[in-house]
Amino acid sequence: MKKKLSELDYGDFGTVCEISFNKSGLRSLGVREGKTLTMVTKQPIKGPVVVMLGEVEVAIGLKMADSVFVECA
Amino acid sequence: MAGNFISEDERWDLVDRVSGCIVTYGIYRQSLRDVIGELTVVPLTGVPVAMAVLYAFWSIFGSFAGALMTDGFMVKLFDNYWLPWLQSVWPDPDGWLYFLFVGDPTADNCFEAFGMLTSGLFVSLGVVLWAVLIFYLMMTLLEDSGYLPRLAVLVDTLLHKIGLHGYAIVPAILGLGCNVPAVTATRILETRKQRFMMMTLLAIFIPCGAQLGVMLEVIPDSVGWVMLYLIAGFAIFGIVLDKIIPGKNPEILIDVPAYHIPDWNNVGKKLWMRTRGFLKEAVPFVMLGVLLVNLLYLGGVIQAISNFFEPLFVYWFGVPKETAGPLVAAFLRKDLAIAQLSAIPMTAYQMITSVVLISIYFPCVATFVVMLKEGWKQLLASVAVLICVVLVYGGLIHAIGILLGVA
Amino acid sequence: MAEKSKQTKKILMVGNPNVGKSALFNRLTGGEAIVSNYPGTTVDFTRGEFAVGGIFYEVTDVPGTYSLEPRDGAEEVAVSILHKEKDAIVLIVLDATRVERGLYLALEVVERGYSAIIALNMIDEAHDKEISVSASELQRLLGVPVVATSAISGEGIKDLARMTAKACKTDIARINAALEEKPDESVSTGGCGGCMGCGGCGGC
Repeated sequence: MKKKLSELDYGDFGTVCEISFNKSGLRSLGVREGKTLTMVTKQPIKGPVVVMLGEVEVAIGLKMADSVFVECA
Repeated sequence: MAGNFISEDERWDLVDRVSGCIVTYGIYRQSLRDVIGELTVVPLTGVPVAMAVLYAFWSIFGSFAGALMTDGFMVKLFDNYWLPWLQSVWPDPDGWLYFLFVGDPTADNCFEAFGMLTSGLFVSLGVVLWAVLIFYLMMTLLEDSGYLPRLAVLVDTLLHKIGLHGYAIVPAILGLGCNVPAVTATRILETRKQRFMMMTLLAIFIPCGAQLGVMLEVIPDSVGWVMLYLIAGFAIFGIVLDKIIPGKNPEILIDVPAYHIPDWNNVGKKLWMRTRGFLKEAVPFVMLGVLLVNLLYLGGVIQAISNFFEPLFVYWFGVPKETAGPLVAAFLRKDLAIAQLSAIPMTAYQMITSVVLISIYFPCVATFVVMLKEGWKQLLASVAVLICVVLVYGGLIHAIGILLGVA
Repeated sequence: MAEKSKQTKKILMVGNPNVGKSALFNRLTGGEAIVSNYPGTTVDFTRGEFAVGGIFYEVTDVPGTYSLEPRDGAEEVAVSILHKEKDAIVLIVLDATRVERGLYLALEVVERGYSAIIALNMIDEAHDKEISVSASELQRLLGVPVVATSAISGEGIKDLARMTAKACKTDIARINAALEEKPDESVSTGGCGGCMGCGGCGGC
């Protein structure tokens, strides 16, 4: 099922399938098509999300997270 | 330039092929530091931890620098031995040399004497040195452990509302030590708008460690109010700047590194480098500052400035006109200026207003120079913003005082 | 003195933020660059020098960057330094625990025709995380010298200093060709093919 990254819940994981905004920036931090990530935390009141990619943690602003689509099992 | 460039997609493709051949991942087991890492970034536990960390930071700073070193040792040393001795051996208490180096012959403490060898030495070595030392020790621990990026994630929600993003906390915290490296550190922000906003807000609203150290000595009970006014100012003028400055306000996108136990060699080395930097650059400035201010007093310049600005000071800001003297000193060193305030008789609220004014008015000369390095146009714009802020905010604080019935 | 001026080479240390460039710089030159554990500690460049094998190296610790298309002010500093020093040797510092993003930058550097050498830094950290990275295979694939280092423990620093003289140019075609060759005989530490089963060796 295809979801926005921002829609994942704590502990959910999925595979990145599409990035529609700030592609180079996200890719250079490891958020790339085909990579698996796990949601670590979502900050309240439209704060950023933190995801785990392999063994790397990355914080991403919420709107940017809206533009990343993941395929969940 | 062999015309050998490939596209981004092709490059990532190549990266995957190369890394597929050289990297092997073992079975990953979660370690304690990963658990701590997660707990400090999840809001439910992370926010209380952040508050505890900042509170601990502040109270250790106050009790070590203020109570233990300065009140416990330095005040006694300077007021009971150094000052009386200097007053007894320096010839001709009415001469101008005495005024420059020893200061007021009737003073019984080193804050009020205001000579180069009394207040100058006391402020730099008796008060500020210890504040800076303990501050840098704690800041280094925050930096080396890897906590700063997590703090950035937690405050991003708030800072994003005023046009910055969470990573602006890095220059903010560096600025609480010294504004000079903090101005350069604004480069980690992405757009010119964000960098300009942070640089300006930093220069106006973030007091440096030296300033904080002297505040703890001079107005220990009102430091909280001063900080509150500064934080509120940061937020208010952050929102205003965000509205009027054109440009983009991109969201946070950062790496959150794993925690590390700080390497003590590195902590020691950084502490030494930063303290040495303070001794080499700030101490001469404090001494020169005292000298210059005293010379200006002797020449009648400060009195002239005080008289000229009297209406502004007395009616708009609601502070005594003598505050003009410290404001001149504040351009050289803000710690010195606040020390100088302690000798002027005024009410507690006037003191809070004056200390806030000294903080938000012009950056010290060293900060000024690094801001110039980031570009003279930005500097001029910053100064323009600053003048508006001082006038508006100074009046606002006075108004709040009147409403509260304390001004 | 005459000898000094005869053999001076410039080195630019380039890599992603927070991969230990400044720590490595301090190890190499005895310098005093500020080292902290957050991305973006170095926002301005620092210079230092060291000598090995009769050659005098002038080293610049460049702010960390993810790519040569700058994203922020510190990255702009990095890119403009690279731009000014076309003939310098570029010492690319990779974090062994996050090789991919470093490789991306490394490719950008070699595409631009710089002589390069790679330090595979934080190799001890990778070890702790059960990640093994083969320096020899990376060297074979890229065609530039690769040295495994740890700026924290000092492992590999001397080798790195010595190998600097061997820094060389490479290009994409050559890397592609190396990828086509069957690498079997040179593989000893890292298994090829990306299978997950063979990695969990406790001994290495």
